[in-house]
Amino acid sequence: MADTTPAPEPLSEDVVRKVAHLSRLAISDDEIRTQTTRLAAVLGYIERLRELDLEDVEPLNNPMDATNRVDDDTPREGLTTEDLMKMAPGSHPPFVKVPKVLGDGGGA
Amino acid sequence: MAEITNVRLMVGLEIHVELATRTKMFTRSGSPACAEFDDAPANSLLDPVVLGLPGALPVLNKSAIEMAMLVGAALECSIARETKWDRKNYYYPDLPKGYQISQYDMPVCFDGAMEIPDPADPSGEHMRRIGIIRAHLEEDAGKLLHEAPGGGAIDYSIVDYNRAGTPLLEIVTQPDFRTADEVVAFARQLRNVCRFLGVSEGVMQKGHMRFEPNINTIVDTSDGREIRTPIVEIKNLNSFRAVQRAIEYEYAHQPKRWQKDGVEMASGRKTTRGWDDVKGVTVMQREKEEAHDYRYMPDPDLLPLVIDDAWRESVVSRLPELPHARAKRYEHDYGLSAKEASALTDERDLCFYYEACVECVGAQGVQADVAGKQAANVVLQAGAKRANERGVGAWELGISPQQIAGIIKLRLGDEIGSSAADALFEALCESDEEAAAAAQRLNLLQVKDEGQLAAWCQAVIDDPANAKVVEDVRGGKEAAVGRLVGGVMKVSGGKADAKAVKEKLIELLKA
Repeated sequence: MADTTPAPEPLSEDVVRKVAHLSRLAISDDEIRTQTTRLAAVLGYIERLRELDLEDVEPLNNPMDATNRVDDDTPREGLTTEDLMKMAPGSHPPFVKVPKVLGDGGGA
Repeated sequence: MAEITNVRLMVGLEIHVELATRTKMFTRSGSPACAEFDDAPANSLLDPVVLGLPGALPVLNKSAIEMAMLVGAALECSIARETKWDRKNYYYPDLPKGYQISQYDMPVCFDGAMEIPDPADPSGEHMRRIGIIRAHLEEDAGKLLHEAPGGGAIDYSIVDYNRAGTPLLEIVTQPDFRTADEVVAFARQLRNVCRFLGVSEGVMQKGHMRFEPNINTIVDTSDGREIRTPIVEIKNLNSFRAVQRAIEYEYAHQPKRWQKDGVEMASGRKTTRGWDDVKGVTVMQREKEEAHDYRYMPDPDLLPLVIDDAWRESVVSRLPELPHARAKRYEHDYGLSAKEASALTDERDLCFYYEACVECVGAQGVQADVAGKQAANVVLQAGAKRANERGVGAWELGISPQQIAGIIKLRLGDEIGSSAADALFEALCESDEEAAAAAQRLNLLQVKDEGQLAAWCQAVIDDPANAKVVEDVRGGKEAAVGRLVGGVMKVSGGKADAKAVKEKLIELLKA
């Protein structure tokens, strides 16, 4: 049986603006309009999947037909502090310099 | 306005435990939660996966998943047959990849419980069962600093990525706690369990465990209403004291907040606060992004994980005897009180030390129950007293389990008295000598010589200061003889056998 849940709301410019903000993308009002149209087309394409009968289909979490790739807990050489200092846009050795932020982080 | 007639507290707890694997969750860079790397210089535990460089691919650490399974088993959880990894997207400078790898809807452990002794029950026998909703694995972020090392002011922030990618087990309880004491008892016990399991050293100052209580209150009013105040989550508490104080603060303040603003619990009204330890208050924090704004998605770089029966059994079979089970065994096999048993199991290092003592005493042919009881007496009396005075653990006093077994052997053979045993304990804290040799050298062995014993007893009987007591004993008040025994012990410098002294005194006085 095909998915009978109601179709989602059409994509609004506000949603695109919000997603752009969450992704820290600087995007102009003109671009918001074009991106909304283009994203709506992508979502419309995916909407076609709703026509399929997915009754007995398990969600696919990974396209690879493999599981359980694990590694032993043995340390290996990595990068040095100098490597990081060279890559970082700004540094206060041995730290990376970033814009002033408050609080302990956004997640965890 | 109606008056508040009663306030009940309701708390659920989230606990982050940094698992002490040698390497990180998804790469083999050294991990600062492991003692081997915990003093690594800033930004020295790095590789392309830690920094989220293009093309870097994560590979799961087998130890991390097995440690998570062990904790799950200890918390009576079901272990997932299949689990997967999800990206939690947000931008913050301590998160190099722009997402955290976590487990969204298929946690590795779920539906468990842990019982704690009810802090409100002085007998320690009534238990409270705290439900565990889930325990899932994720990776830690780096550490942001807002001043230069040494405290210099800077007008930017700086980041150390050593901690980025360290395995974190996030344990979420049901809102089953009714007092701050229960939360702290649970938190302490969980720390102890993790230490027994060997999955964390549980050093709070190093952030090995962090607590986030979700707190609200149920307020009864004089007009018969029952109000639930909005849930407040307190972020990142890293001491038991802070957990206790932050919860008590919210317990006191939530009803007042409701009286002022009338806001009740509802979806979307949860707020996040931090704890200011200096001022002793909770403070409002930046609003957390709504859960769906994290745009969780399965991580395409990682394969799902299937935990079959054989793997699960092989990990669960490594589960050591847990502190509570050990305490019950001590009570049953050694005849210890519940209080003694819990004092010996509340701290892993003390517990292992005690068990080494019991084994050494047993190795001398002493029956197991006697060995257990005698070792408990020495560790909890002579040991705990000095440990307390010196601010160290009893296992750190410098006296070995073999030496303690030696003291117990001398005691059981009536070769030293109780005060001599204490003096011997003191001496052995500073010496590697065998107990018997030290007792000999320090002249602590009991004098068994009948003539010497009789002479000490006679001297005490003849002392005019004791005339009244002597008369009482002769008159039939045998209980009064204790005073005279004390006198003889003093005269002998503690070297007389108190039991023999008592017999000798009665013999002399009845003659």
